[in-house]
Amino acid sequence: MAELAEATEEQPAGAPRSLGQTIRKRWRAWLRAVHRDIGYLAIGFTVIYALSGIAMNHIDDWDPNFTATERTVQIAPIPDDVSDDEAVQRVTQPLGLGKPDEVFRAGDEVRLTYTNGTQVTAIADTVTVQARSSRWFFRAAVWLHATRGKAAWKYISDAYAVLLIYLAISGIFMIRGKLGLRWRGTIFILVGLGAPLGYLVASGGPEAHKPDDKFARPAAPTGIRFLPPDEDATPTPTEHPSSRSLPAAELPARGTLPVR
Amino acid sequence: MSDSSRPDLDRYPELKRGWDRRQFIRSAAIGTAFTAVGGTLMRIAAEDLTRQARAEKRADGRERLPPGQRVLESLRAMGGEEGDGEVKNFRLVVHGLCKTPFEVDYAGLLRLPTVQKQADVHCVTGWSMLGGLWKGVQLSTLAEMAGMKSEARYVILEAAHGFTANVPLKEAMADHAMVTYRLNGKPFALQHGAPVRGLVPDLYFWKSAKWLTGVRFVKDDKPGYWEVRGYHNHADPWREERYG
Repeated sequence: MAELAEATEEQPAGAPRSLGQTIRKRWRAWLRAVHRDIGYLAIGFTVIYALSGIAMNHIDDWDPNFTATERTVQIAPIPDDVSDDEAVQRVTQPLGLGKPDEVFRAGDEVRLTYTNGTQVTAIADTVTVQARSSRWFFRAAVWLHATRGKAAWKYISDAYAVLLIYLAISGIFMIRGKLGLRWRGTIFILVGLGAPLGYLVASGGPEAHKPDDKFARPAAPTGIRFLPPDEDATPTPTEHPSSRSLPAAELPARGTLPVR
Repeated sequence: MSDSSRPDLDRYPELKRGWDRRQFIRSAAIGTAFTAVGGTLMRIAAEDLTRQARAEKRADGRERLPPGQRVLESLRAMGGEEGDGEVKNFRLVVHGLCKTPFEVDYAGLLRLPTVQKQADVHCVTGWSMLGGLWKGVQLSTLAEMAGMKSEARYVILEAAHGFTANVPLKEAMADHAMVTYRLNGKPFALQHGAPVRGLVPDLYFWKSAKWLTGVRFVKDDKPGYWEVRGYHNHADPWREERYG
């Protein structure tokens, strides 16, 4: 109860204290007060970073950004010579779908696009309906967490990281006695440090997971010259001066191509 | 524990608090154990596929499943800045060290000589999808059509938003390497690179660029998006070339 009293009791009447005396007497109470307020500030960040971190850790098990659905339906194949309207009707009718926003026909495909993002593709006798909906929280949280391309957020998240460091260090000194560093606090700190250190020791750490040198990038004598990254220099399809559209005459006619 | 053994907690509030905490910890432990058992059973079921694959060999003598991989039944969406996915906007530019660079739209691509190949793909994050039937146009066909020059040593797969992946000519000209627009008879969903993506099955799957926009033949290697961010420049799954 002593520390609670320290945190809540008013200064008793008497001779004024020097700043040094006040700090010595009250520092733990201030530490706790600042810890508490930063804790409030950090709640939103912590929830976003923790949940998106879990989501990204398991990204090979699920897609945190979207829920995707896909179903297929069998139909009679659509001949090439039917009109677009007829083709659309033959695809949409069995599925109970309305009029699409766009229709695209190429080769043996009839593709229908709807404004909600649903794609319907008929290939021969199979219609595939692909739809997805956004997991709004995780999508936004992962976007924030990944930081990529968001200059301002980088600095905001840096500030959050500094606050977290304050929370961690101030937490050590918040409570005196057996519940603090004298016993319980020390034990838990050691357990907390032991988890990453133990994993590093057990796994061998980053050095043990480095690829064998013989498989790393070949050195210059092999005749390979690595250039510095220069993504801006990558020509885009519209910018590339030497590109030309392939005339239809140079393309084999539809239906004459071998499928190997 | 029977009720008779339970202390009269109402008389001892301090004891009641401790008892409630004990109950809470017990419930939490039981819940955690159930979750862990469920997760383990799911893993074990999935491990069957992995075990089967480990027993198989490829035609080239290598194990079918590269080390450190587990088998999934379908592709996983791994993110990335998506292209617009619209077939009507699709253009593939084949350019670089070649005599006749060209651009082809989606309808034109479907008219090019087509192949259907069974291929396994292996993601650097540790999953593999085996035996997919991929349809598309081989990179070697595009190289031939464009008149790729003899000094070309690498193929750069270019994709939406400036993404690139560098592939040595050996892997790019392999039989299964292609620009692909169908998997198992279905078009790709947007998250898997619609409408057209690369396929270089002998390298980790990030080399098979999604939302493909270009194929460029170059003489000098140029590490791509992931390669300059710490991933391996070559990315051979059998050598576990994950990180550079």
